[in-house]
Amino acid sequence: MEKYKYLIIGGGVAGLTAAETIRSKDSIASVAIVNDEPYTLYSRVMLSKPNFFLGEIPFDSVWLKNEDWYKKNNINFFGGKKAVKLDSKNRTIILSDDSALRYEKLLIATGVQARKWNFPNSDKKGIYYLRTLEDGRVIMNAIKSAKRAITIGGGFISFETADLLKMAGIDTTMIIRENYFWEPLLDEESGRMIEGALKKGGIKIIYKSEVKEIVGKTNVEAVILQDNTKIECNMIICGIGVYCDFDWLKDSGLKTNRGILADEYLKANLPDVWVAGDVAEFKDITLDETIQIGNWVNAREHGRIAGLNMIGEKIPFKFVSFYTTQGLGISIAFVGDVRSDKSRIVIKRGSPQKNSYGRVIILDKGARKEIEGATLINRTSELAAIAKLIEKNIDVSDKLDKLGDDNFDLKSLIQ
Amino acid sequence: MADLKEYLRKKSDSKFGKIAIDRDLCIGAASCIAVSGITFELDNENKVIVIDPDSVDDDTLLAAAESCPTKAILLFDKSGKQIFPK
Repeated sequence: MEKYKYLIIGGGVAGLTAAETIRSKDSIASVAIVNDEPYTLYSRVMLSKPNFFLGEIPFDSVWLKNEDWYKKNNINFFGGKKAVKLDSKNRTIILSDDSALRYEKLLIATGVQARKWNFPNSDKKGIYYLRTLEDGRVIMNAIKSAKRAITIGGGFISFETADLLKMAGIDTTMIIRENYFWEPLLDEESGRMIEGALKKGGIKIIYKSEVKEIVGKTNVEAVILQDNTKIECNMIICGIGVYCDFDWLKDSGLKTNRGILADEYLKANLPDVWVAGDVAEFKDITLDETIQIGNWVNAREHGRIAGLNMIGEKIPFKFVSFYTTQGLGISIAFVGDVRSDKSRIVIKRGSPQKNSYGRVIILDKGARKEIEGATLINRTSELAAIAKLIEKNIDVSDKLDKLGDDNFDLKSLIQ
Repeated sequence: MADLKEYLRKKSDSKFGKIAIDRDLCIGAASCIAVSGITFELDNENKVIVIDPDSVDDDTLLAAAESCPTKAILLFDKSGKQIFPK
């Protein structure tokens, strides 16, 4: 049985960065990556970007590491193989081809899967999910002949695919369950700004609605909504959330919730097992909460810190996460924890009328008030300063007026 | 033609003479800001700009460029030859 000092399950940016970090500190230890997709590291974020989809930049620009890189760095790559069982007592991983690998130290960075529709006819041809490179290839091919498309869900996938569908000349309707786009993560004013951009781009939006039936023989021909509205379409893109597949971890003793639970060092509850990337539900010491975050930058930073801790360091993960997107003439950013429940103060910067609107979300700790997060529409230039303010836990209790002044430079608060 | 924005690097002990941002490729993933927030920043179009081309050493600058998921950061040597991406 092959044995590795460092075994990494998951070949996305979290796993790859961990391997790269380990190799940069230890040139001789055995390192292997197991990846269920057959591909070397590619840019998952490119998959939903119009200029990639529409062939404006070459397909090959999706590759971030080629096979040579793994060889040169002496990292064994098991592509196209899935981990099907973790036997933590014997420190062994069983793969889908029945082979087994032993580990001294294990990193689980398996990411998340796209949630699939599960009701009659949801297996018709023409229903797509966007998560893997293969998913991307299939959709790229489908948009060449599609005439009418529907996107399901009011989040990043819908926003970005609506943009690219429109650019591809496809008549597009967006169906969302909520009252406005991105409820409740955004306030209504921000949501309406995004809807304004979508509608200006020619995209129709149907609110408070869900599909109850799919019509078609082998291919999708139409959907019927709960209020019996029928919409013809030959393509449906579903962005209805993600989940973690834990079947292979059954009986392993690993503690899971929505993700795999980890402490601030990204260490799981089993000996010599770490977790990184979207699958990690980890203790965030800046927010003092256990959270799960799904984005590229976070996964990369996770991989780096997990890699360092696997080789014997003890560094807590301390990073203010953020995610941005743009399209249809609008830019959107989420920084830190953007929940705005009653215990938090929300300060507005700019306004929808000015087409530049931000919300700074502040945790009210009585005497102290600290910035926890922000949402920014057409104000991405403030992202870095806000991330810094969150990271430094700066008391802004006597600065609330200033924070609401559109012209006030947030950088001046960073000490 | 790509929409390139160029920044000269004058740091004497650096092998890099120029940083360029391909604004068509940049999607504002901001991984470069995570690596080196004193060098890079986003503008309101969600594209990266260089605020201080001389702020960090070569290793950090290269790590920031390598972290970009769309390879939108280009690095050139002092003679103008592109070094990254290769």
